[in-house]
Amino acid sequence: MSQTPLVEMIGIEKHFGGVRAVDHVSLDLYPGEVVGVLGHNGAGKSCLMRILAGAMIPNAGEIRVNGKAVAFADPNDARAAGIETIYQTLALADHLDAPSNLFLGRELKTWFGNLDDARMLEESRKVLARLNPNFKNLSDPVSSLSGGQRQVIAIARAIYFDTKVLIMDEPTAALGPSETAMVADLIRQLQAEGIGILLVSHDMHDVFDLCNRVVVMNKGRLVGAHGIEEVSKDDVLSLIVKGELPADWSARNLEAAQ
Amino acid sequence: MSQAIKPASGRAPTPLASLMPDAAKIHRLSALLTLLLLIAGFALASQAFFSVNNALTVLLQTSVIGLLGIGMTLVIITGGIDLSVGSVLALSGVGTAMAVKAGVPVGLAMALGVAIGAACGAVNGLVVTRAKIPPFVATLGMMLMARGLALQLTGAAPISQLGEAFGRLGNGALFRMVEMQPNGFPKVIFPGIPYPAILLAVVAVGAAYLLRRRQIGRHIYATGSNEEAARLSGVRVDQTKLYAYVMSGALAGLAGNVLMSRLVTAQPSEGVMYELDAIAAAVIGGASLSGGVGTVSGTMIGAFIIGILRNGLNMAGVSAFIQQIVIGAVVIGAVWIDQMRNRR
Repeated sequence: MSQTPLVEMIGIEKHFGGVRAVDHVSLDLYPGEVVGVLGHNGAGKSCLMRILAGAMIPNAGEIRVNGKAVAFADPNDARAAGIETIYQTLALADHLDAPSNLFLGRELKTWFGNLDDARMLEESRKVLARLNPNFKNLSDPVSSLSGGQRQVIAIARAIYFDTKVLIMDEPTAALGPSETAMVADLIRQLQAEGIGILLVSHDMHDVFDLCNRVVVMNKGRLVGAHGIEEVSKDDVLSLIVKGELPADWSARNLEAAQ
Repeated sequence: MSQAIKPASGRAPTPLASLMPDAAKIHRLSALLTLLLLIAGFALASQAFFSVNNALTVLLQTSVIGLLGIGMTLVIITGGIDLSVGSVLALSGVGTAMAVKAGVPVGLAMALGVAIGAACGAVNGLVVTRAKIPPFVATLGMMLMARGLALQLTGAAPISQLGEAFGRLGNGALFRMVEMQPNGFPKVIFPGIPYPAILLAVVAVGAAYLLRRRQIGRHIYATGSNEEAARLSGVRVDQTKLYAYVMSGALAGLAGNVLMSRLVTAQPSEGVMYELDAIAAAVIGGASLSGGVGTVSGTMIGAFIIGILRNGLNMAGVSAFIQQIVIGAVVIGAVWIDQMRNRR
């Protein structure tokens, strides 16, 4: 790939006291690429994603977007650079309705600076209908919606704006099979539009189904970055658990190449 | 997917859903009903209660609690609390009075009083957001400091003889009609709408507009609803909270001016426990102390319930001690009903 990466993270470090949550990790992402980010709970992957989302400030390292160095002071900066995040917790304000959540922090306004709730409702209706034609409860507080509907709002919020990079933290963990299939379709669709996606997941099936590459973190360090065709599920499991590939990996790979 | 995300049964589609009373509306409706029942009850119990004059007295008395309650509502929606409003009210009133005594024109002195209140609110907000001190503790500290400063500045003595202009805000009225009788005594045809009531109406409409139609209002709800989600969505939660505390302080300053003007005396010991009335007004009106819920209209109803309870019990000759017991029970009852409703 000769293009400029959408995002480069170079030598990122994050410490909490003496704990190295992210230990000199570098990662890049190209347009139209889906990269699976794997690892145990506490391996540092969520931390790394939060740094890219602007929700956490690294102690060291550099982030480049389209080749240009950036510094994210808060999530607004990352979103302005086209980096959107779907958090595992969904990050929804329970008492507000779907349009208010969709546009939270980026409210549409009238010329007078008033909230343009009518337009936000209309736009929400459109983007939600694209994800789920049956979505109707637009004026209910999101606390009264089902897990799937809440997930749809979180996804809609991440794709409505001019998104270039999408971070998805366990997007299917709370979903049933049919909804999971919908998310998978959506990922392929976004990929075709040239959006780069970082998919944090525990679901090996999803990862092998959707990703072009996998990166594996273990105890804060990046222990492997491989094209999806270079590794088997067992190889990836070994990276996650032991932090290294099985001993016979290079031999097997050599065989496969021949 | 359709079967998983099908709308919950019994829920009306969008156009109707907006007409369906949601939980918050039901709470406000029940509070309004309580208010009307109170008025009816007191009117039956006492002839004097149900009169234009007494209605205006209630308006006047409620305006201070109402102003404090509106500021309190903003803070409570963000998930905070402001215990300092009673003391800030006293400090602001004292500040205004001292400025008047020093020869500053009354209007300017009152603006200064409001600014003192806003400054106290700003300190509250900064202590909460920067030093990460819980709002209860931060504003408890401010409650003691503002009261102490007000007492220190005045030597604990009231400042009186502030002139007629100082008393106009608290005692004046719009559309007051007085007729001179042949015997030389004035006869009041219509006592007029007291300025404090007009001020309260203007502030209430302004605050409701802020909460419903402006971005800052939406962010106030979002911050109280889920602070982390709001932050991740790009809401500047610290600025939002600071805004709420500054507004609460400024409105306490305004309430201080109204109260001291009504007495035409600045009392450094005035406003003790007013914060509790303000909190009670917000809570009776449906605001949730865990944040994210509350309306100005609800708080207005709450303020009038407290005002009318006080006034009506006074008229009925019930002692001040019993009044406290009744209002305390009403607050607990309102929160209890709210929780029962949410549990179901």
